[in-house]
Amino acid sequence: MIETFRQLVNSFASPVTIFTSAMVLFILFVTFPAQMTSPWITLPIVAVVVAFFAVGLTDPHFVSIVTAPDNVPIVALLFITGYFTWYSMRKACENDRRMARGEPPKEKLESEEKVLVFPYLIYIEFVIALVYAIGLVVWSILLKAPLEEPANPTVAPNPSKAPWYFLGLQEMLVYYDPWIAGVLFPTLIIIGLCAIPYIDRDTETSGFFSFKARRPVITVFLFGFWILWILLILVGTFLRGPNWNFFGPFEFWDVHKVVPLLNVNLSEFIFIKWLAWGLPKQWFVREAPGIILVLLYFMVPPAILAKTLFKKYYKKLGPVRYSVMVMLLLFMLALPIKMYFRWAFNLKYIVAIPEFFFNI
Amino acid sequence: MPPKEQPTLYSVPKTTVWFAIVSLVLLGSLVWVVYSDYAREWKAWQRKFIQLKVEKAKAELAAVDKKVDQKKLEELEKQHSEALRIFQEHKGEYAKLEKEIARLDMEIGKVRDRGQTLKQFQDSARYFFEKYRAHGDSRAAEYQQKLDSLAPQIEKAKLDQESHEARRDEKQKALDELSAKVRGTQKDIDLALAEKTRIEKKLANVQPTLAKEILNAPMIDFIAPSLRIQQVVLEDLYDDYHFAKVQKVDRCTTCHLGIDQKGFENAPQPFKTHPNPDLFLSPASPHPLEKVGCTVCHGGNGHSVSFIESAHTPRNEEQAKEWEKKYRWHRMEKWENRILPLNHTEASCTKCHKNVVEVPQADKLNKGRKLAETYGCFGCHKVEGFENRWKVGPSLLDVRSKLDKDWITRWLESPKSFRDSTKMPQFFHLENTDSSQDREMSDAAIEGIVAYLAKNSGEVALEKPPVEGNIEHGQKLVKEIGCLGCHTAEGVSVNYFGPELSGMGSKVRADWLYTWLKDPKHYSPSTRMPNLRLSEQEAVDIAAYLLSQHNETFEKQPLPSVKPEVVDKMVMMHLQKNLRHEEARAELAKMSPEAKLEFLGKQSISHQGCFACHDIKGFEDTKPIGTELSDHGRKDVYTLDFGLVHVDHTREAWFFQKLKKPRIFDEGKEKLYYEKLRMPHFGFTDEQAESLVTFLLSLNQEVIPLEMQRRLNLKEEQIETGRLLVSKFNCQGCHTLDGKEGLIRSTFTDLGGAPPILEGEGAKVQEKWLDGFLKQPSAIRPWLTYRMPTFSFDDEQASHLVQYFVNLAHQEVNYKGLVLPETTPQKLEDGKLLFEKFQCVKCHKVDRTSMAMGASFLAPDLTLTKERLKTDWVVNWLKDPQAMQEGTMMPGFFPDGQSPLPDVLGGDVLQQMEAIRDYLYRYAPQPAQNPEPPKPEIPAIVKE
Repeated sequence: MIETFRQLVNSFASPVTIFTSAMVLFILFVTFPAQMTSPWITLPIVAVVVAFFAVGLTDPHFVSIVTAPDNVPIVALLFITGYFTWYSMRKACENDRRMARGEPPKEKLESEEKVLVFPYLIYIEFVIALVYAIGLVVWSILLKAPLEEPANPTVAPNPSKAPWYFLGLQEMLVYYDPWIAGVLFPTLIIIGLCAIPYIDRDTETSGFFSFKARRPVITVFLFGFWILWILLILVGTFLRGPNWNFFGPFEFWDVHKVVPLLNVNLSEFIFIKWLAWGLPKQWFVREAPGIILVLLYFMVPPAILAKTLFKKYYKKLGPVRYSVMVMLLLFMLALPIKMYFRWAFNLKYIVAIPEFFFNI
Repeated sequence: MPPKEQPTLYSVPKTTVWFAIVSLVLLGSLVWVVYSDYAREWKAWQRKFIQLKVEKAKAELAAVDKKVDQKKLEELEKQHSEALRIFQEHKGEYAKLEKEIARLDMEIGKVRDRGQTLKQFQDSARYFFEKYRAHGDSRAAEYQQKLDSLAPQIEKAKLDQESHEARRDEKQKALDELSAKVRGTQKDIDLALAEKTRIEKKLANVQPTLAKEILNAPMIDFIAPSLRIQQVVLEDLYDDYHFAKVQKVDRCTTCHLGIDQKGFENAPQPFKTHPNPDLFLSPASPHPLEKVGCTVCHGGNGHSVSFIESAHTPRNEEQAKEWEKKYRWHRMEKWENRILPLNHTEASCTKCHKNVVEVPQADKLNKGRKLAETYGCFGCHKVEGFENRWKVGPSLLDVRSKLDKDWITRWLESPKSFRDSTKMPQFFHLENTDSSQDREMSDAAIEGIVAYLAKNSGEVALEKPPVEGNIEHGQKLVKEIGCLGCHTAEGVSVNYFGPELSGMGSKVRADWLYTWLKDPKHYSPSTRMPNLRLSEQEAVDIAAYLLSQHNETFEKQPLPSVKPEVVDKMVMMHLQKNLRHEEARAELAKMSPEAKLEFLGKQSISHQGCFACHDIKGFEDTKPIGTELSDHGRKDVYTLDFGLVHVDHTREAWFFQKLKKPRIFDEGKEKLYYEKLRMPHFGFTDEQAESLVTFLLSLNQEVIPLEMQRRLNLKEEQIETGRLLVSKFNCQGCHTLDGKEGLIRSTFTDLGGAPPILEGEGAKVQEKWLDGFLKQPSAIRPWLTYRMPTFSFDDEQASHLVQYFVNLAHQEVNYKGLVLPETTPQKLEDGKLLFEKFQCVKCHKVDRTSMAMGASFLAPDLTLTKERLKTDWVVNWLKDPQAMQEGTMMPGFFPDGQSPLPDVLGGDVLQQMEAIRDYLYRYAPQPAQNPEPPKPEIPAIVKE
């Protein structure tokens, strides 16, 4: 019974299924926030996740991965971030309901009750700090630092994994070259996070939990945070094994596992498969379709969106802030787009110029 | 603003309650920190060891207590109390004396102080006096005066002190006399209880006390704890941590507390005494603990004091299970240098004992090495330090003269079906080439090899046996002439050096065998088979006997039929390595069927590596096909392909599997014919495989500093060169030599007929003679049926062997010949007299009468003495033959250094022996009296 369950999970697990089902869950979450945060839906989901872990812990491979001292924080990450997302969304929905009824948000009531920082806040913070201290002490006693044998320069650990907080980036490296996944994207993530307060200058809905009034902004943020960060960290930690191969949660990490990696560049699709001309010798001719496609991707959708879906925003933000926002959004979407291209067509590079190591 | 009456977000009293709870929990967690830092695995072991020691001391105490003679003790105590009573009567006198002594001590102190003060002034005055005098200063006179006045004062102080001391000594003596009796009786009691007191003290030392417990308590155990980590820091050994070499520190003794102490032989682990303390650990042994430590031999992580992290290795599955249960043991997957399993510890010897043929006392390792040498491992696998080994198989350069095609085919199909004991491994039809398709291809490859060998073989002129052979006589000769010194035959299987002599009739023809027996080097100059100098008749008889044996099942084995299309397919496979398909086709079409087979044969030989053991034309310079094994003892486990086989992921498990079933790691794999594993199957027993694993684990290029290695001096190097030759030519198959019993000796009932013992041969015979004898042996003991064969040693080999024998006997190599000791005619006369009286010729002569006594009573001809023996040896031999060669029949004529003939030379034993010696070196019997020794009628000396 458990064995069939494990096999079922293993066969179901793949980057596509996991990513797609996470996307479905995410879309449901932002489309029906009130329903999704109600105990009737949340509790079963939590129950399923807990049951999954409980069953999983009967499997030695799962146990060895999940209980590795470096990986324990990632398990916690799943539950903690899940809880906080649920908590804030629930609060936001409550405020949305209140405001729909014409009542002020809950925070308004609380903010009327003013007290001094000292001693009231500091005192509580101090106690909480102590609680954290206890947590860290107990944690460090129970989970020993995973120190290993002296490093041998001739032996690279397999899989070679980045620290957990970089595993999302490492997972991106599967789809993009280092200069994008390792340089451009992290830079844009930092710039994007810095830019949020300048792009979204809405003061009306700030200071309290709310969702309805700023659905697109929160959706974009949650997408970037949950799907492109947390999910990729989880995949990178638990499901990527030796040689960065994908393994199901209950699969043995076999160093010798071999999977075909047949990836084709866009130029090869066009010039060899469709046109049957053979690859042009000059790189700019060869890569012209890819370059044009990339340029179109960054130029056409902003314009169209400004006229249609984001008309309201365009007006509200003005051209400069609007374009910054849309650019950030497009960069963010570039990752799942490329992922799906890879899974669907084995697409390797849209633009591939090995002449000077420029690949997109 | 003051807080509300009932705040919703905060409440100071509530927070305070939480604060209290949290503080307590925090305190608890801090206690936990201290405790978890304090509670170490090794402390528990040390406590257990203390307990063990206490128990042991208590048991000893009880035993000693029983031994104490209670009656005697009571008697002594009675005497003591009597003495005390008498002493009490003189107590007043005693006290007075004591007082007096105290006063005198004070006086002595005073005078001594005065003398020392004056001495200070004198030294200072001398300094100034010398300085001023040298500078011509007028103040010199003043200081001279001072010096002059000080001298008598100092003298006086000294005399005073002496007189006081004399008086004090007098009083002390009187005092001692008073208490002498009491002290005497007390001393007797102490003496009677000495052993008990010693053990009591020991017990008190080891027994836990409150003070010790306090010093061992958490937080203060940094001051002077009695439980502490024990370690040896090894000056000249290092751990290689890749980026840094770290001085070796072994902390094993933290838990293995009894390892270097006698008396814990039966203690439970980890407290057991080392099983071989005379060889290891003890300060007088060659491997003292302080210098060698533990991990350099045993492996493992010496820095660690945890059972698991020090990388302990269980000796078998069962122990692994037990450890898992008891200690939650698991293998340290990432620690490559784990502790060697106990059955392979000898593998570490070679880290320091390099360039020796055998490591002393490492029997398993030596056995593994010898197996590797015998089975020709070094032919395919390069191993540093073993490059000087030889090809183990016979030369195939002229194989056409020896074997026919069908025999070779059947042989390659299955060597063991011809001869179970053969060292030729099985190459074809093994578990990974067992499908009918693979079998077809293997058969084709065999046919190819046979075709190649036939085509590329020279031919040797063979002599026809001149007469008909006598099978029975041949059989007798095989038993008695020396064949069994290397070969197994006739059910006598002490030697497996050469091939077993069976089924020869199914293998070779009479003319080849006859020619071979007459002179093996004629057919194969590189063969190790020596020449037994057989007469025509002997050779014919032996050949006739050997050829009378047939292996009929082998002969009846069907020859495989090879399909031409399979040959074509395989030739194509090889051609396509370098050619395109069409080109290869064209090439194939050009070949005749014979050419195809020959081509396939050549490719197959180079694929299987036959040339590693056999000389084959066309493969003179081909590189061997095996992996280099020079550092296999440290090979990273992840680089070993375990395939789909479920064995422990350890080196030793992999090696063992590979040796037992060389093709096993192909199990369950899809591979093309030529991609498959190709190490042949030797059919090792478990024991052999285990020895070989030890040998493989010993191949370790870890750098040990030169000063820690066992380095050989020139003589030892020469001995090792000789040892290799001895191993190559199997001298110990017949002779007892270098601490090893000659293998053939066990088959003799009358050891007088066995090949001679060669221990101490270098001290016995002259270098020049030995050199000549090795190159061209002649009979020294004509009654022996075994013949010393002619090995045709060249000058280099012979001189290596001479050096070996001489150095082994702790002598200096000297080719100059003998300087005869000076003598006098009278001494020679006396020598002759003794020689006759002792009846030396009775045994040292071979004729009908002496033969009748039995081989044990026969001895070498003494006319050889002057060319053969060393003079010192002769004297030593006469002195005590048993000491030099236990069990010899040579009688000791001078028991206990007494001569039975006291009249000759004044009965001086040494003089007598020298006289005999001198006579021997000048001894030449009249030719007429020494007729041709009769052909020995051989007594039945070989065990049936």
